[in-house]
Amino acid sequence: MLQLSPLEIKKNRTFIKVWTITFLIVFPLLIVLGLLMRLNQGEEINLGMDKFYVLMTLHGLGMAGLLFSTSFAALWYLIGTRHVKLNLGIGYLVYFLILIGVIGLAYATLLGKFGAGWYLLYPLPFKNAIWPAWSTGLSIVSLIILGVAWLLGMLHVLYVLAKEYGGLTNLLGWQYLGKKEVKKELPPIVMITTISLIPGVIAYLAGAVFLVMFLMQFFEPTLTFNMLLMKNLIFFFGHTLVNITLYCCLGWVYALLPEYTGRKWVTNKVLVYAWNATFFFIIFAYFHHLYMDFAQPLGLQYAGQLASYFSAVPATAVSMFGVITQVYHSKIKWGIVPLSFLIGVGGWAVGGFAAVIDATISVNLVFHNTMWVPGHFHTYMLGGVVLFIFGFFFYLSHTREEQEKDISGKAGFWLFVLGAHCFIATFYTGGVNSIPRRYADYKGIPIESTHLIGAFLARLAAICIIIVIIGFLIMTFAILVKLIRKRVAITEPVQNS
Amino acid sequence: MIQPASLLTIQSTSAIISFLGGALVVLVIAYLMGTSHIEEDSTSAKHKVYRLRGKYFFVLVFCAVVCLFLTLRLLPYTKFQGEPKQTVSVVAIQWDWKMKSGTFDKSPEEFVKDTAAKKEITLPANQKVRFIVTSNDVNHDFAIYNTKGVLVAQTQAMPTYKNELEYEFPEAGDYHILCLEYCGLMHSIMVGTIHVN
Repeated sequence: MLQLSPLEIKKNRTFIKVWTITFLIVFPLLIVLGLLMRLNQGEEINLGMDKFYVLMTLHGLGMAGLLFSTSFAALWYLIGTRHVKLNLGIGYLVYFLILIGVIGLAYATLLGKFGAGWYLLYPLPFKNAIWPAWSTGLSIVSLIILGVAWLLGMLHVLYVLAKEYGGLTNLLGWQYLGKKEVKKELPPIVMITTISLIPGVIAYLAGAVFLVMFLMQFFEPTLTFNMLLMKNLIFFFGHTLVNITLYCCLGWVYALLPEYTGRKWVTNKVLVYAWNATFFFIIFAYFHHLYMDFAQPLGLQYAGQLASYFSAVPATAVSMFGVITQVYHSKIKWGIVPLSFLIGVGGWAVGGFAAVIDATISVNLVFHNTMWVPGHFHTYMLGGVVLFIFGFFFYLSHTREEQEKDISGKAGFWLFVLGAHCFIATFYTGGVNSIPRRYADYKGIPIESTHLIGAFLARLAAICIIIVIIGFLIMTFAILVKLIRKRVAITEPVQNS
Repeated sequence: MIQPASLLTIQSTSAIISFLGGALVVLVIAYLMGTSHIEEDSTSAKHKVYRLRGKYFFVLVFCAVVCLFLTLRLLPYTKFQGEPKQTVSVVAIQWDWKMKSGTFDKSPEEFVKDTAAKKEITLPANQKVRFIVTSNDVNHDFAIYNTKGVLVAQTQAMPTYKNELEYEFPEAGDYHILCLEYCGLMHSIMVGTIHVN
C-alpha cells in the first residue's frame, strides 16, 4: 500500500475535486446541445442546418473528450493514491492543455461555425466548407493540443507504473503465465490501465499523423491524401478513444466493488489471458467502421467482424461474470456506488450486444449510419460510462453510510437511468425504422413514414433528455454539497480476507 | 399497408434479438439484486458462478462461430456478387446524385457535367443491377430505401475509389437514394430516385 503524507493526500484530493467539478459543469452543457439537436429534428425549434451541424460537432467532440478525460482522471487518482506516486504537476499540465484545447474547439465551433462532425472526415473540412478557413485551422490545432495533453498523461502513467512493476510485460501480467512465483502482485486496476492506455497511445499517434496531414493540407490546399488511409486513421483513433474510455472505468470497478462485497478480486491467469486478448480486440475492432467501404481489403473486413465478435468473450465471460461473482449472495448493501457499477455494467452489456449485431457485415449493410449506431454508443456511454463516473463521484464525496442513506441521490440516479434508457430506446427504434443519423431534420426525405417516425422519435427523445437532466441535477446537488462541505473520501482499499 | 413478407427484415430480426438480450440483462440484474441479501461463503458462491461461466463460455464461442460461418458467406462485396444484367454508374456530389446506365466512360468531374447523368433513373425489377459508385468531392454514402421506406443496401461513395454494390429490386415502385455519410450543410436533402418497373 502506498504511503502518502497528509499534504500529498490533500493535493491529490484537490486535483480530483477540480476534475469532478469540471465534469459536473461541462457535462450538462453538452447534454443541452444534444437536446437542441433532437428538438430541431423533432421540428419543435428551427436552428437551421448550419447551427445544427455546429452543435453536432461540439457535442460529439466534447462528450468523447470529456468522458475519456474524466475516466482517465479517476484512474489517475486511484492509482496515484494507492499504487504509485504520480506527478501532479504533469496532471495539472494535462488539465490546462485540455482546457486550452476545449476553449479552442468551442471558439472554432460556436463562433467560427466549424461543423465537420467529430470525425472531420477527410476531405470534408477542406471542400466547399461554409465556415471560414481559420475555424478549420483552429479546430485542427485544438485537437493537436488535446492529443498532446492526453499522450503526455498516458505516457507518464505508463512510465511510472512500468518502473514500479518492472517493465511493460509485468504490467501486462505475463509473469502470471509462467511457472515462476509472482514476486510482486499486480492489482487488476494496474493491468487494466496498461491495457487501456497502450492502445490509447498507439491511437493517439495515429491521430497525430492524420492531424499533421490535415495541417499540411490546411497550409497547402493542392495536396491530397489517400482517402481510405485517412478513414482508417480517423476511425482507429476515434473508436479506440471511445473503447478505452469504458475500459478505464472498468479499472475502478475492479478496484472498488470488492470493498462493498468483501470479496477479493485479484489478478490470475484467466484475467491476464482475457485482458491481453482484449488488447488485440481494441486494436482491430475499429475495422467494423469501414465495412461499407467496399474498397477496403477483404481480410480487414473479416478482421473487423472476428475482433468485434470475440471481444464479447473476455468482456462477458471474465469481466461481467467477475461482477456476478462479486455480488452473488454477497449480502451487499445497495448503496449508490455498487448500484451505479451494477447498472453501468448492464448498460455496457446491452450496448456491447447491440454493437456486435451491427458489427456483422451483412447486418451493417442496413444499419450503418442509421440511428442504431448512436443507439449503441449512447448505451455504452450514457448507460455505462456516465454511471461508472457517478459511482466514482459518490465514492469520493459520500461516506459508506451516506451512500446507503442518500435517498435524493438514489432518486436522481433512478430518474437518470430511466430517462437515459428511454432516450436510448428512441435511437434503436429509429435504427430499426431506417432513420438516418446526422440529419439536421427529416423534412427533405421523400419517404413520408421515415420523415414522420424520425421527427416523432426525436420529440420523444427530447422529453427523455429532460428527465436525464433532472436526474443529473439531483445527483450533482447531492455530490457537490458533500464535496464542498466535507472531505473527499480517500481511497484506503478495504483489505478483504 | 405492411406486407407480411416485410415483417421479418434484418432490422426487425435484429430488434427482436436485441430486445431478448436486453431483457436477459435486466433479469440477471434483478436476480442478483433480489438475492443479494442471502449470505454465502465467497468460495462456494464463486464455484457456483464459475460452473455457470464454463457452460456460458462454450455456448458463447459456439454461437459466435456459427454466426460467423453463416454471415460471412453473405457479404455484399464484389467477390461475392453474381453477374449483373445491368450496370449503373453513380457519382455523388455535394449535394446531388448523378446516375447513368453503363460503366464509367469518363472521369467523375466530366461525368457530373454530362446532361444524361441524372438524380433519377429507371431500372427493371427482378434483375441484378450493379451500381459502380464514386464521389466527385467528399465522402457520401449511396443508400437504397425500398418502397416501404426500409433501408435495403448501401455503399460508401468515396473520391478516387469505385465501390461496386449489387442489388436486385424485388418489386416495382419508387426506390429512394439517401446519403448516409455526413457530407456538409445539405446532407439531409441529398436525394435520388430509382423508378423500378
